[in-house]
Amino acid sequence: MQPTSPDPTPGASSTGASAGAEAGGTPPGSGEPAVELADVRKSYGSKPAVDGVTFTVPRGEFFGLLGPNGAGKTTLVEIMEGLRRPDSGTVSVLGHLPSKRDAALLPRLGVQTQSSAFFVRLTAREHLETVAALYGVERDGAKRTLETVGLTAQAEVRVDELSGGQRQRLAIASALVHDPELIFLDEPTAALDPQARRDLWQVLRDLKGAGRTIIYTTHHLDEAQELCDRVAIMVRGAITALDTPGRLIAAGTGDTRLLVPAARLPLETARALPGVANVTVDGDMVVLRTSDSGVALAEVAKVAGLEGVQTRTVSLEDVYLQLTGPS
Amino acid sequence: MSAYTALSQAGYRASVRDKTTLFFTFAFPLIFLVVFGLIFSGQDVAESGRTYISYTAPGVLSWGVGNAAVFGVGFALMQWRRDDLLRLIRMTPTSLVSVFASRYTLALVIGVVQAVLFVAVAMLPAFGMELDSRWPMALPILVLGVTAFLAMGVIVGSIASTPEAVAAIANCVMVPMAFLSGSFFPMEFMPGWMETLSWALPLRYFNDAISAALVGSGDLGDIAVGCAGLVAFTVVFGAIAARTFRWSNHS
Repeated sequence: MQPTSPDPTPGASSTGASAGAEAGGTPPGSGEPAVELADVRKSYGSKPAVDGVTFTVPRGEFFGLLGPNGAGKTTLVEIMEGLRRPDSGTVSVLGHLPSKRDAALLPRLGVQTQSSAFFVRLTAREHLETVAALYGVERDGAKRTLETVGLTAQAEVRVDELSGGQRQRLAIASALVHDPELIFLDEPTAALDPQARRDLWQVLRDLKGAGRTIIYTTHHLDEAQELCDRVAIMVRGAITALDTPGRLIAAGTGDTRLLVPAARLPLETARALPGVANVTVDGDMVVLRTSDSGVALAEVAKVAGLEGVQTRTVSLEDVYLQLTGPS
Repeated sequence: MSAYTALSQAGYRASVRDKTTLFFTFAFPLIFLVVFGLIFSGQDVAESGRTYISYTAPGVLSWGVGNAAVFGVGFALMQWRRDDLLRLIRMTPTSLVSVFASRYTLALVIGVVQAVLFVAVAMLPAFGMELDSRWPMALPILVLGVTAFLAMGVIVGSIASTPEAVAAIANCVMVPMAFLSGSFFPMEFMPGWMETLSWALPLRYFNDAISAALVGSGDLGDIAVGCAGLVAFTVVFGAIAARTFRWSNHS
């Protein structure tokens, strides 16, 4: 379902097109949508945390929620989880009202807990077995889930003796142990090392491949670009952009940047090159912005050669910074 | 495995793996028994004519059991909320009844073990407590006492957001109550108004009923009054606990 990308480099030039095509192939989903929000608002005192959010997440979608700290992402996710009640607007999760603590809905949701939410003095396996029992599922789900998140070797380690990354993986396991349909993950890769992060990506892709819906928040834009079918960017309580990563990037400023070793390209020469819109210096590199990278590259090749030259196409990060930056 | 069984098992494991807390939970009332035993060794309480230890031992026991119930659930609830474990439970279909039933079971087991250990030590020749023939009635009284103080502990654990606050609130309530209810000193030593005041405290009923059952310092009527008092306090504390309970520290 998800095209396997051999090495997802941030800003790789082809990502835009493929992500767009892939999102177009998202199945419409069976039955009611996973999540439906209409004009949801929530304030703390006079400060609006969620300020009129409307969107629909179809079944089977991998949905990313991005935004700076304090943008209201956590509050919005907690409203979808049913942990908070919105001041106004309507929320429907798998066709249910989540704030009611509906025993028919809860086992269908998986929620990544805080990395502190463990039963004290239990081992990782015992904790997960307890969580499985709370969901009313068999305890062998615990062993399988530990394997999924790569904690088999730590199964008999007490939860308070796990490392930060291991605790985080156990918290993710708490969201998966009962095989839920809709999974909420809150910055699941934040405390993971690069290898564990890539391993988790595979876990998430497999879940999506199995038809699960995933809603997740992250600060890693390369990851969102790589994994998400659609991305919503939230700023000051409102959704400022919502689309496939590919279309968001295409709609952003189309400038490509060429980075040329400064020693080989004097600033004046760079400014005079055809097709170059703007030139800046960044450390020992000269950065050329161009809307026509073919022409500009040919010109650079003539005056400075191409050795050591790097190209940077627009990434989701650029779009994100444009949308969330100080305007 | 049911949620209740799993939670009870998790609570049991957490308790027995915390050796320090476990030791002091059971040693605490015994320490008071030893201290009071040494201070008042051989003395009789003038008006009742009974030995001091037979007067004070049941009171120390009921206080120790009540204390453990309040602190146990108070700490657990505060900790579960602080660590967001309660939020995890909130997101599962497990009912609050199962959650509290497991804590209740745990508190009952702790209370019974405390009582058995305490009575065994108090009956050693050094202390010389003698059991009344009515002693089996102490068991249902113990259950009612644990219930009332557990409900109080739920209130404490819901109000307090830090371990320091749990200790401060619980101690502030339990220590003066021990003195005012005659757990440490016979009521006869106290001014009349204090005895009147003691009827407003759950520990007074617990003390009276346990004393009547264990050492025969009262009749069946005293036991009945004590039990009725404990049930009434359970209802009141239970109602307050239901109102103060929160799933999360965030509003």
